[in-house]
Amino acid sequence: MLFFAAILSLFLFLTPLASRCYSHGKVETEEEFDSRWVTYFSKPDIDAWELRKGMNTLIGYDLVPEPKILDSALRACRRLNDLASAIRILEAVKDKAGSHKEIYPYVIQELKPTLTELGISTPEELGIDKL
Amino acid sequence: MSLPKPVMRGLLAKRLKFHLPIAFGVAITTALMYKFAVTEPRKKAYANFYKNYDAVKEFKAMREAGIFESVRPAGK
Repeated sequence: MLFFAAILSLFLFLTPLASRCYSHGKVETEEEFDSRWVTYFSKPDIDAWELRKGMNTLIGYDLVPEPKILDSALRACRRLNDLASAIRILEAVKDKAGSHKEIYPYVIQELKPTLTELGISTPEELGIDKL
Repeated sequence: MSLPKPVMRGLLAKRLKFHLPIAFGVAITTALMYKFAVTEPRKKAYANFYKNYDAVKEFKAMREAGIFESVRPAGK
């Protein structure tokens, strides 16, 4: 009984994102997942709630968001005149990476043009990345 | 010098795939070790004690020692 529960929970953790143990139904590809989120944040009249909701949902997944999703989210912050959320998004990415220290520098590297264009400072540039 | 793209998905799943079997293994092993090092010897000790236990003989010995209030030693 205990072994069954252990094996079942282990299998559920191994299923990829956006797929569950349905006996039917398509598994979404990573590209489809990414496009869905880029579209979500690209809504021209996105409101502050939708931005927060989107980010909180995205952060709940077992992945670090792709730079193109983050780019779309940062542009949504620009439309909402919300610099605080833009910097917070960068902090969230670093936190999601956890002990995988190579992820955050890569994401910043990919986002550098967007950060420059939108005038967003990184937490490191502001000195708020240290306690 | 541009950084290569690292793995960004399924990091928790990968960690759990490694750690969860270990966690269950340690928990189950601990339980089994406790069972065989503590509970089974304890059960055997009790079984052995009571295998040839004569309750009446023990009662008589206690009675003669005068520890009861409701029964006096024989012959008093």
